[in-house]
Amino acid sequence: MHTFFLISSYVIIAYMLFSSLSYVGLFLLAFRKVKKEDNLDQKESTEDLLKNQTTYPVSILVPAYNEEIGVVSTVRSLLALEYPKKEVIVIDDGSKDDTAARMIEAFKMTKIPFAVRTHIQTAEVEAIYQSATFPFIRLIQKANGGKADALNAGINLSKFPYFCAIDGDSILENDGLVKTMKPIIESDGQIIATGGSVRIANGSTISRSKVEKIDLPKQPLVLMQIVEYFRAFLIGRLALSQLNILLIVSGAFGVFNKERVIQAGGYNKHTVGEDMELVVRLHRLLKEEKSDQRIEYIPDPVCWTEAPESLEVLRSQRLRWQRGLFETLWTHKKMMLNPRYGAIGLFSMPYFLMVELLGAVFEFFGYAIIFGGLFFSLVDPNVALVLFIVTIFYGSFISALAVLLEEMTLHKYPKVSHLVRLYLWALTEAFWYRPLVVLWRIQGIFISFQKKANWGDMKRKGISS
Amino acid sequence: MTINHIWMFSAFLFISQLVLLVILAFRKHRLSAKEQTISNQYESLTDSFSSYMMDPEDDRFIHEISGITHQTIVLERLLNGYVSITKGSITSPLVARLSEDFLTETYTKQLAHSNWAMRMNTLYFIEDFHMQSLIPQLKEKLRNTTRLDQETQQLIRTLASLNESDTLLELAQFPSAPVRLYQDVFKRLEEPVMFEQLGAVLDDKNHPTALREAAISYIGTAGLTRFLPQIEDELQSPVEEIRIQALKAISHLHYLSEPNLLTPFFHSSAWQERMFASQIAGRLQLSRFKEMLGELMGDSVWWVRYSSAEALVQFSDGDILLDHLSVNHPDRYARDMATQWKSSLLGSEE
Repeated sequence: MHTFFLISSYVIIAYMLFSSLSYVGLFLLAFRKVKKEDNLDQKESTEDLLKNQTTYPVSILVPAYNEEIGVVSTVRSLLALEYPKKEVIVIDDGSKDDTAARMIEAFKMTKIPFAVRTHIQTAEVEAIYQSATFPFIRLIQKANGGKADALNAGINLSKFPYFCAIDGDSILENDGLVKTMKPIIESDGQIIATGGSVRIANGSTISRSKVEKIDLPKQPLVLMQIVEYFRAFLIGRLALSQLNILLIVSGAFGVFNKERVIQAGGYNKHTVGEDMELVVRLHRLLKEEKSDQRIEYIPDPVCWTEAPESLEVLRSQRLRWQRGLFETLWTHKKMMLNPRYGAIGLFSMPYFLMVELLGAVFEFFGYAIIFGGLFFSLVDPNVALVLFIVTIFYGSFISALAVLLEEMTLHKYPKVSHLVRLYLWALTEAFWYRPLVVLWRIQGIFISFQKKANWGDMKRKGISS
Repeated sequence: MTINHIWMFSAFLFISQLVLLVILAFRKHRLSAKEQTISNQYESLTDSFSSYMMDPEDDRFIHEISGITHQTIVLERLLNGYVSITKGSITSPLVARLSEDFLTETYTKQLAHSNWAMRMNTLYFIEDFHMQSLIPQLKEKLRNTTRLDQETQQLIRTLASLNESDTLLELAQFPSAPVRLYQDVFKRLEEPVMFEQLGAVLDDKNHPTALREAAISYIGTAGLTRFLPQIEDELQSPVEEIRIQALKAISHLHYLSEPNLLTPFFHSSAWQERMFASQIAGRLQLSRFKEMLGELMGDSVWWVRYSSAEALVQFSDGDILLDHLSVNHPDRYARDMATQWKSSLLGSEE
């Protein structure tokens, strides 16, 4: 038994060191691109696209379920978006609250008949409304079918060749859409999907649907999520995007080529991780067609979202994420280690399996062995100590590094005190936040075997005044 | 490796991070102080700059800008603000004069700088400020370029904004040059040169297809009816994409000398041609095609059905026709489309 735990300790140590080094390696890969664009005048670089009639028009899809608090401000923020031609489609997925009523009242909407193209089958569309004030805003009222089904209904109604999916509780920066469309336009359609960084809005001042002042929240739980987002977006996604093996475009905000999504079959209604599943399916389509088209991630923070402030809601979110990841990897298990799918099959899929999904299992055993080794002589205390150091390295040091890297590249938080606070909180991650998340992620793997999908229960306060 | 080594290595990593944190915090503080100084200098010069732009006799600004520490950045911000607020001032002689006097030397160096973002920003500003004096350096830079990357694309746009007629030919050297970039060039050229270039492109069928497509498309979006005869000729082009662009341009121009030119497109195998033919019939209210539009409402492609119904709405008796079709059209999708259009017009932000 003792030998078993000793060997397990070595395996976990090796795993954590390997994962940490992979994080560092991935960042180094992405660093050059972020640094290259660091001082680029973003306004100048997108100015021309805003004036061009040839800039592709975009349909903005806002799936909403019980979003009565945030939906109107989200749509208002979309009205303020600088973009030459757009339409906004809110999809009320059978909300039990007044989501539709708030929309109808705020934008003076009336019911219209509409000949919808059914590219993708969805739950029954009950009514379509159009705003009298802004005719390009429409609302679909439909039977509940989940977020993926709501997005599919939006795709069916949309009329433009690209669509942008944005969560009902998120605020997009004024130039967010044009920045995200820029790579698509400049690649002449070679890029079929783009995702931008999502930032946590808690603590910042968002007034009239515009980010007025960037600040940090007071709650440690939210601060840790900010650090976590740095780690995920800056370290992971950017490098994977560089290699064209990015498997996630955040559900909170992403732009897609509609035709390609329809070819891929639309969003999958049978998973809670519909955002990731779609991206994997698009990659699969591209690889099977031997297409040169790409999926890209842009490092600029373009979308602000409300992070959970309570343990209960955070837990529910993490269970959903983990389950979504599991379902996606399971659905596309055929791609795993399959040379036919190139780097996606040989690197990206195994990476997501070992680091993103099963990482929690390794970490859990790591914490258990440290505890058992230091207090119950389960393993040699020296081995437990090494494991403890490696766990801190993996949990806290890498996160602290992500904070420093954000400062080296994007430096979006304006004050020195922001940097120091985030850094110090990141150092605490391995001692309280990470064990919590690890537990939830393990629980998430177990509940993946249950089949019931839902929207998740996020208690909104609203992020815009 | 002993446990002590591991502790030492960890301590080393931690201290390295702390050092990096201190450096970054110091840098942040310094940048913030610099930004504050720039903002103060910008604020202090706003009045004299406004006065100078209204009356160049009042040259207080020239003396003040000469004596500040962040001259380039402050002047860039002032000029950029002026250019973006006063639309059309892109050719303002005062903007050009100020930028040429104070920025030429700096920009010449920056164009060759190793920092990509700096070179790009410089190209944007040269375009915004219309700095003719830098044309030789820009042309030289273009001559030394072999790849049509983001920087070269902006270089081409900047040269076109300075009304350099050779830009199109230079761009045509790159076989991968996209249509949108050619359009960007046409958009930036000033009128006599632009007309001359458009005419030359349409007259010579040997130009790259992308260039010809861009010319036709630009004529449509810019509403240049003087080119209508050439555009109508392109309806006979053997290249499908050229014909589609010609139809699109006619749809934008709202004019067609001989409506019968449209007839074959209603039966085209390319749905885009059927769609644009429908759109044109509606926009020009060509009543001879009403029956055809009714038929196309039962087309297999949604966009053709949509455009035919939209076209019928444009006729004075469109409501009656759609009402009739919403009940009597043999195709279910056509009836749905007619119902939609008779009740409301689909909106999108124009």
